[in-house]
Amino acid sequence: MRHKTQSLQSLSWLLVVVLMLAGCAAPTAPGAQPGAVSGDAVAKTKIVWWTEEVEPELQEAFQEQFVGAFNQAHPDIELEVIFQQNLNDVLRTAIQAGEGPDIVQTPGPGFLLEYQRAGLVLPLNEFAAQYGWKDKILPWAYASGTLGGTLYGLPLTFESMILLYNTRVFQDLGLTPPTNRAEFEATAAALQNAGLLVISYGNVGWQPTNEHLIGIYLNAFAGSDAVYEGLIGKRSWEDELFAGAIDLLTKDMTVNGYFAGSLENYYSFDWQTMFSTLASGKAGMMTIGTWGFRGAAEYFADNPNEWDWAMLPSFREGVPQGFDLAVGSTVSINAASKNPEAVAKVLDFLFNDPSRAARIAQIFSFGEFVVPIEFDAEDFPSDVDPRIARFLTEFADVTAEGRYGYTTWTFWPAEAETQLWKDIELVWAGEMSIAEYLAKHQSLWEKARAENAVPPIPER
Amino acid sequence: MTVTPASLVRATSSQKRRNRWRALRPWFFLAPLLLLNLVVIITPSLLSVRYAFTEWTGIGPARYIGLANFQEMLADPVFYRALWNNVRWTLIFLTVPVMMGLLGASLLSSIRRGQILFRTLYFIPYVIASVVNAYIWKLILNPVFGIGPWLAERGIPWLDIRFFARTDTSLYAVAFVDNWHFWGFLVVLYLAAMHAVDPELYEAARIEGANRWHEFWHVTLPGIRPTLVFTLLMIMIWSFLVFDYIYLLTGGGPAHSSEVLATLTYSTAFYSLRVGYATAIALTMTLFSAIFIGMFVLLRRLGWEI
Repeated sequence: MRHKTQSLQSLSWLLVVVLMLAGCAAPTAPGAQPGAVSGDAVAKTKIVWWTEEVEPELQEAFQEQFVGAFNQAHPDIELEVIFQQNLNDVLRTAIQAGEGPDIVQTPGPGFLLEYQRAGLVLPLNEFAAQYGWKDKILPWAYASGTLGGTLYGLPLTFESMILLYNTRVFQDLGLTPPTNRAEFEATAAALQNAGLLVISYGNVGWQPTNEHLIGIYLNAFAGSDAVYEGLIGKRSWEDELFAGAIDLLTKDMTVNGYFAGSLENYYSFDWQTMFSTLASGKAGMMTIGTWGFRGAAEYFADNPNEWDWAMLPSFREGVPQGFDLAVGSTVSINAASKNPEAVAKVLDFLFNDPSRAARIAQIFSFGEFVVPIEFDAEDFPSDVDPRIARFLTEFADVTAEGRYGYTTWTFWPAEAETQLWKDIELVWAGEMSIAEYLAKHQSLWEKARAENAVPPIPER
Repeated sequence: MTVTPASLVRATSSQKRRNRWRALRPWFFLAPLLLLNLVVIITPSLLSVRYAFTEWTGIGPARYIGLANFQEMLADPVFYRALWNNVRWTLIFLTVPVMMGLLGASLLSSIRRGQILFRTLYFIPYVIASVVNAYIWKLILNPVFGIGPWLAERGIPWLDIRFFARTDTSLYAVAFVDNWHFWGFLVVLYLAAMHAVDPELYEAARIEGANRWHEFWHVTLPGIRPTLVFTLLMIMIWSFLVFDYIYLLTGGGPAHSSEVLATLTYSTAFYSLRVGYATAIALTMTLFSAIFIGMFVLLRRLGWEI
């Protein structure tokens, strides 16, 4: 019995020691397993990429159509894509510790800037020249990853704000998508008179939704030229044009009830409510980013021909309609990666074939992984939604003409951006004046400029 | 068997070794857990104290700025609003669920048949994940498909209110949902404590002519005092750390009306990328928790049975 107890004790100790040793085992550095992958005769370089968590069926399709295709085309490299929850938080911790995946995916140029300032991502100029990325990627998007003349990140997803609308409702009321403020007000009046909501939109589940509207009004009222001047510091954010834009938004939100019918409704609408309301014909329009294509496909599944999109209207005479530019995520090479050349091949695989890029984007209903390259009509798979194909080709044409604005989550420094969407609620609640709001905004921009924390602004 | 002085000395020293080993043995088994705590809790906590005195985005090196974060915090109206909301939250949770818990436990303690069923029913919301609870209440109070508009269509408009979306109700609405999941937990705790109260005390009270209220006030409450004080202490600590329900239901809005220190810390660190300043805010939460724990320790030293 005593012998048995001793054996049990010894086993317990052994277990404790093993667990402790296992806990202390050194983690694997990114790309540090260039040895032969089990079962393979060829020594493969392993490249790891952490990306945002998506639904399992989308993961499967991405694994097959991108990862599988890449690995097949590159027998010497094994790409592994891991879908991570809370990617930004997890990645930041890992990279800060000198670990993490070979490919660093950030939520936008503002975050890329932080990684670059900390020396955690590699310069890409040599790879850009080798693979001709500058010629493949839309110029504004390419410039958004260029910091101080050096390329550090490539745009993985581009977005823009659009106007989704219910075509049945518009047809019934004899409406067409508004192109200017007068038409917008007339459309709104027609919808309200019919007992419908003008715009189905809300910020439940994602409070920064406020900044979508702020960006729209800044560009559509003040104009993208004025916004550009604000971004590069030539015009103060306290300028009357910006004050006018915020004033108009505040009136539309709190007095006119254009968004979800009331400010309280706007604070109560989530993604599901927004789309259900639009798809059921209880609202006429929705101002949303192009990620809304996914929602349209899902919520209009029973009546797929009853939605369409249009360019957002201009809100002031002399301001042309255009698309607001946004980079939803960027990809870079981890400075700790052991195989930057192999990583560059993965990055190039994202851009070097427009028809493959279109197929990958289609997996995500053109809400994610929409790389900013110039698409031609023949690049799209035959079953792609023609409305989305129209957006992609039109976006390239319109922005090439210089008719583009700026989204806050791409071109604003983090603190000023957060103040913009947080404090606007104080303005809407009447607890802060527009002058105070913009004065605080201006001071945060000055602080960011002093700290060299302004994301790259493509030259206009 | 002959006992010699030498063998006696050997036996005594062997006994000493065994005693020493017996005293040390629990520490060996606790060592992995202590090590884990040291690595994932104590060290990061101490490091975070350092970051409160820096300007840091969370990436790259931190820049020492002395007390600037604390000066900024003390001049920030949003900080005071969040702090005040934490105080309001604490007052709500020190009263509403505690009273409901005491009432529920007191009523249940006199039930013999079906007590388990009620205990289980009250406890179920507590074991459901906060994200699920929050989603359930979001659906119930949905402005288009929820119970409010449904009743309004049938001529009962008084529930058609956007409780989470109004600056005057948002904090109370979230507290209501959190309380809905929490109070059953207190019922179970208080009921267990009430079962431990000597039944003879109740019998003696009844002989002396005590009614139900007298029994509760003079027998039950003193009998469950350690449990009651412990739950009050934990509520005070948890109230200054509250995050999940507020984050899930209102995100601290609208217009900071339901902002608490934890949601302010989160948005400052992860949206504004000001991890140093966020750490300074977080330290105030730690400070309040330390004060509450200090009170607990002091009361024990003063001889309170808690």
